[in-house]
Amino acid sequence: MKITRRQLAMVVSASTLAQSQTTSSVDDTQAARDRLKANSNALAQQDLPPATEPAFKFQA
Amino acid sequence: MAAIPNDVFFATVTELNKRLLAKEFKAEDLARAFAERLAQLGPRYNALALPLIQEARRKGKTVDQELKMDRQRGPLQGIPYGAKDLLAYKGHPTTWGAKPYATQVFDYNATVIDKLDAVGAVLTGKLAMVELAGGGGYRFASASLTGPGLNPWDRTRWSGGSSSGSATGVAAGLVTFALGSETSGSIVTPASYCGVTGLRPTYGLVSRHGAMALSWTLDKIGPLAHNADDCGHILQAIAGADGKDPGSAGTSFYYAPQYARSMKELKVGYAAVDFADRAEESARPAFQAALAAVRETGVTLVETKLPSFPYGPILSTVLAGEQASNFEQLITSGQVDQLVDAAQIAGLKTSLELPAKDYLKAMRLRRLIQEEFRKLFTQVDVLLAPGRPGPATKIDQPLDRGGFQPPAGTASGLQGIIQAGNLAGLPALVLPCGFADNMPVAFQLVGPAFSENLLLAIGREFQSHTDWHKKHPPEA
Repeated sequence: MKITRRQLAMVVSASTLAQSQTTSSVDDTQAARDRLKANSNALAQQDLPPATEPAFKFQA
Repeated sequence: MAAIPNDVFFATVTELNKRLLAKEFKAEDLARAFAERLAQLGPRYNALALPLIQEARRKGKTVDQELKMDRQRGPLQGIPYGAKDLLAYKGHPTTWGAKPYATQVFDYNATVIDKLDAVGAVLTGKLAMVELAGGGGYRFASASLTGPGLNPWDRTRWSGGSSSGSATGVAAGLVTFALGSETSGSIVTPASYCGVTGLRPTYGLVSRHGAMALSWTLDKIGPLAHNADDCGHILQAIAGADGKDPGSAGTSFYYAPQYARSMKELKVGYAAVDFADRAEESARPAFQAALAAVRETGVTLVETKLPSFPYGPILSTVLAGEQASNFEQLITSGQVDQLVDAAQIAGLKTSLELPAKDYLKAMRLRRLIQEEFRKLFTQVDVLLAPGRPGPATKIDQPLDRGGFQPPAGTASGLQGIIQAGNLAGLPALVLPCGFADNMPVAFQLVGPAFSENLLLAIGREFQSHTDWHKKHPPEA
């Protein structure tokens, strides 16, 4: 099978892109944990009247 | 097979139904033409999950027999449609867009598919989606079993997600309408990016029985179509009480365009900054022109702002808690590692670490959000904001970083309206409103719960003044 340099470049760049998009990493896990923490902090800053029950019906 | 004219592929529901009733062509031929077109062109956009050519032909034949006996079932009879691949279709794979579920088969139909079958609509294929509807937080458009959703207006750009195939299918004329779902933006975003009309119904109005559960308190199923009028007909068919869905509101929806309020009576809340500094520069002229067209309908635009809450963190927390429970087995078994997107995998795994107190605080804050929206809707009838700040992103652009950021100090406008509307269970209608960089842009109308008829009335009026919803991608 013949393959042109352009085709080869496309295959290589596609595989590099795919690899960069699929490899799970410590960074991703840390980033996800950081988001949970940031969300938690944002919620902690919200005052709630003590009698506020969780919403179970969602029609405003 | 009799020849089917090319103009059917972008015809509306009501136009097609009229032509079927006039016996211009047979429903079987129409079903076959659409099903084959979807099977042939769907892969070009990574929009196809499952072709259903034979099933569509059979259903079309049944419709022809019914029409022969003058058994009319309403405007959706004989109309080809596609369903997002998170909806169960008996005896066929329902993959949820994710490799771990690639061979999953249910022995029942989702309620919405049964309801559409009952009114004679013809399912021509299942449509691609972001894996698991993206709840874990994906970084790349490629986060799907079928590859990145490619936008029919420009295949170097994303179709939006998670209802990628649903929006693409309508935009490219592969289906007349499609079913999508939204937990937080999954109808609004792809409808905006692909230039189609999309309706996110009030929470509980449409049954989710047979749909993948991502977040019980946020998930909604809704239509994407060529215009607001079609969305009204589709919603009437799929809405209604369902004992199989614990979140069902137990109410029906009757599409009633004849009872629309006068546009002059309506106050539309908006923030001018959303259409200027908070919008991408390329999209601002289109948004300004759209605002002028909205004013031409006769409504009064009123400056307003959203109640102040950290909508993003609240929504993310609710979603994390509910998806952790829904996908616990997937995560703990390690099968989650078969997903495509590394950020999504990490997000799902980490969701198991969410403290219960945070989930409950987020749910308690939702109560306050609902109350504040009730107050807001005593001042305005609906809210108006861009669907997205600009046109579709490039296909390889990371979605979680590097996106458009308005200049520091810009007023917040209605920022967070997607998360806010979903947290409060409010309906939204997405209407194409122009072009930027040769790509469609859209705005969204958000109204009080069960105000779909009002949203659709404004949408119809707007679309009677404009023709952006009639534009089609050049290559489609």
